[in-house]
Amino acid sequence: MSTRASGWTRLRRAVAAQGFTPATWIPAASEGRAEEATIRPARLVEDLRIGGHPVGAPEPWPGTVAFLDGTQRYEVMAYAGASPVVVAEIAAAVLERRDRQMHVAEVARRRLVIARPEVLGDLEDAIEGHGAIEIPEDEPPHPVKDFQLARREVDAARGRLEVEIGHRYRSASNAWMIVDGALSESPQWARDEKMLGVAKSHATLPFGGGDLEHYLRLPAGMRSPVFEPAGNEVAPVFSWALRLWPWQGLNLLHGLIRVEAAATLETLARADQLSRWLLAERAPVSTPDPRWDRLLYGIRAVEEYLRASGE
Amino acid sequence: MTAPIGRVVATELKPSTPHQFHFWTARESPVGIGAIVRVEAPARTVFGIVTDGFAYSDLLTPIHDVIGADGDPALAGFAPTERAQIRLYTAAVLRQLPEEPLQPVPLGAVHLASDSDVVTALRMDAFLTTAAPTGIPSGVYAAGGLEAPIYLDADFLLGPEAAHLNITGVSGLATKTSAVEFLLSSIFQTFPAQKGSVAAVCFNVKGPDLCFLDQPAELSEEDRRLYARLGLRAEPFGDVTYYAPYKADGVNLNTLRSHEALAANTVPLVWGLREVLDYAEVLLNKDDVDAKADAFIGFLGERVVGREFRDITLSDQPLEVKSFADLEDFFRRIFDFMEVQAKSSEVWRNHHIATIRKVRNRLGNISVRAKGLVTDDGQASDLPWGKFADRSVHVIDVAGIDPLAQDLVFARAVSKLKEHLERRDLGVDHVVVFVDELNKYAPADGQDTYVRRMLLELSERGRYLGLVLFSAQQFRSQVLRRVVGNAGTALFGRMDMDEISSPGYATLSPATKAKLAALPKGELMVRHPHFTQPLFVRFPRPAMLAGRVGVERFPPAVDLPFPQAVARQLRALDPAVTAPKVEALIDGRREEDVRKALHATRRTRPDNVLAFFTAQLGKRVEREVAPARGVTGLKKTSDPYG
Repeated sequence: MSTRASGWTRLRRAVAAQGFTPATWIPAASEGRAEEATIRPARLVEDLRIGGHPVGAPEPWPGTVAFLDGTQRYEVMAYAGASPVVVAEIAAAVLERRDRQMHVAEVARRRLVIARPEVLGDLEDAIEGHGAIEIPEDEPPHPVKDFQLARREVDAARGRLEVEIGHRYRSASNAWMIVDGALSESPQWARDEKMLGVAKSHATLPFGGGDLEHYLRLPAGMRSPVFEPAGNEVAPVFSWALRLWPWQGLNLLHGLIRVEAAATLETLARADQLSRWLLAERAPVSTPDPRWDRLLYGIRAVEEYLRASGE
Repeated sequence: MTAPIGRVVATELKPSTPHQFHFWTARESPVGIGAIVRVEAPARTVFGIVTDGFAYSDLLTPIHDVIGADGDPALAGFAPTERAQIRLYTAAVLRQLPEEPLQPVPLGAVHLASDSDVVTALRMDAFLTTAAPTGIPSGVYAAGGLEAPIYLDADFLLGPEAAHLNITGVSGLATKTSAVEFLLSSIFQTFPAQKGSVAAVCFNVKGPDLCFLDQPAELSEEDRRLYARLGLRAEPFGDVTYYAPYKADGVNLNTLRSHEALAANTVPLVWGLREVLDYAEVLLNKDDVDAKADAFIGFLGERVVGREFRDITLSDQPLEVKSFADLEDFFRRIFDFMEVQAKSSEVWRNHHIATIRKVRNRLGNISVRAKGLVTDDGQASDLPWGKFADRSVHVIDVAGIDPLAQDLVFARAVSKLKEHLERRDLGVDHVVVFVDELNKYAPADGQDTYVRRMLLELSERGRYLGLVLFSAQQFRSQVLRRVVGNAGTALFGRMDMDEISSPGYATLSPATKAKLAALPKGELMVRHPHFTQPLFVRFPRPAMLAGRVGVERFPPAVDLPFPQAVARQLRALDPAVTAPKVEALIDGRREEDVRKALHATRRTRPDNVLAFFTAQLGKRVEREVAPARGVTGLKKTSDPYG
């Protein structure tokens, strides 16, 4: 999250002028975790047990490939009593790779104010030009709880924006598109046979026990069997893990990504091929980003673009 | 307005200043070192010239590239995505509008300069858009597909505001000579009428460099296009006269321009004792220069040479000293008198014998070392002092003569120019003097010579007279700093890295130095008072024949035996003169007499050359054959030791 607030200074003053208590941030570590670590058992659709599939040597992705990602930044800009007023900027972009060069294909930005409904009503004039998102008011105001709710709203809004520009791009292009995260954000994405989701996070794991150990100990250049993650009934996808870099001596998650693709027989047949293409995306490495072992350079390029071009 | 090609960026580490800014461009941008750009910002326009460039990617450390390529350099090129890269340029500010208040360069869009931008950026509008423009085309600035003529201000090139031009560059590329030839041609074609007339005196100091300025060169289409772009005619100089001393034989010219087809405007440079004596100081080194020697030389000049000199101690008859031979006889008489009649004295007419001997040695030395330059008949063949024509070029070929004689020629020619310009009776208002190998004549180190002092004087005060020095050398750092420092305009061709590393080039950026070190033929870096930063320009090949090509097309005539050489000299005046006729005329004559007659004929250029020459030879004095003395020959013997 960025502390850049220059773009919000005017808004902050306007809100303060309405009698709200000015604020800038909440104390570190007080917001809790956005995602709880858990195991949600998946259904294997390729093998009967977890084992490593060598995918073969990396192969360059043929033709044009697009990368989609989004960014968000938010901060508390005031308090209405005990409840925070959160301002956010969300952005998403699709960068298309043609002839090894990245080009911006789609981009969208939104500025949001998230607060309790009555607060938003009071701020109506001050937040002109911003999207207003309400947080539920079934419970009494709580500065931390309300902030967590606001942050979830920002996450969701950013996800919706990504889906929006993803659809916009796919309606105009038949090129492969790689999304940072899960395809289950959109049923349309989940069905798209030329989209891949690449998840870097492993807070939710698909197996437990000995299977999990096999899953997490995949050697570099190998993938897990294809499985169907649980909880994606609305937008079912196929998924598999792929180890991009050797993990030995580092940690179990080093270089491990989880790939999502349409739940089709074609995906099953092409899992190795798709994995070889993804292996080739290890270069160039995404340093100095600390997630470089899992962050594809194309995704990082989208993040860098959004970060550099934001206000 | 053209589309922007970049954007100014400023960070705390690389901020914009009033004199420098940074901008990035697309990778395929045509911007390069030396390109002129325009920054557009609200209420301010800034012009700059690119002085340095940087490129880097988002790679934090090289090890990450190694990791990404699995340690195999061959794989590194196959990464599916090319890393994000930046082309970041540094530009030096040429001009800001408005000029006050002078502020740091604002963040703004960067455009490649157009023709009119170049005029404004280089402040050429100050002398091109006035009622009486004074622009002299010097080449074209080219960048990003744009090509703009670059002008030098005549007021700052030939005075009176500033003056003089110096050009530096490695030898062998002919860039220095070509640049001067082109620029002189440009001056002759475009010198503003309101500034009066102009001529050039060029010293050809090596090989055939300047020997064919009147001969057309073959030019490429590109060269002709450049001439047209600059509004100049691609033609050699129309009025060129060559001056060359004779060789020691006194009849063959000491020049590589001795082809008979070029003889019409190649004339001998011959000086008599008077001409040499006036510049005797040139012949004296620093240790020699003292009041006594000066006084004695003054005595010779005022009382002896060219006058009737009476001194009973030397001769009953009045002495007439007109030539070096006469002078030698004069000295001999003094020494005889001192040795024989004035045994106890070492002084003659208040001049110590050592002083007299020193002056005699120095003067005698020049008559030996520059035998073809000085003549015994006392009559000079010289430049047309007082009759210089507008747009005339006078090339003095000293390439083949002794360095001491070169100094003498140089000193006398420049001094005469100065004298006549001071009196305003030279025939023209401005004279450009071109001297190559300046490091030889005005070295930074070494002893202080007359020529060095004269060049310094010329560079410091010449512009007030209309006497302008165009000079060239390989190493600027080896030339007297005040001489090159006084050159308002400086040109730099391809440079040696050692030279660029010297302190005089410290203000240039590393990229500019690198460009200078690899500058192609026909490109120069220009410094001019109106330009706040050095600028790279391209100029066409000169429209006159290069020396090397010239000697192939007009091979130098071989040295001929005395009779044929005389015939050739006369044939230059009258093509009807034949060698047999001349040989018959001079057969049995003393060579000195023939030379005198020949020089007189050349000077007079009569209608009937042969008749005049014959008259000058005078009546033939029949050769007397000495009777045999009857000395008995040695007996022949087979024993060589016998």
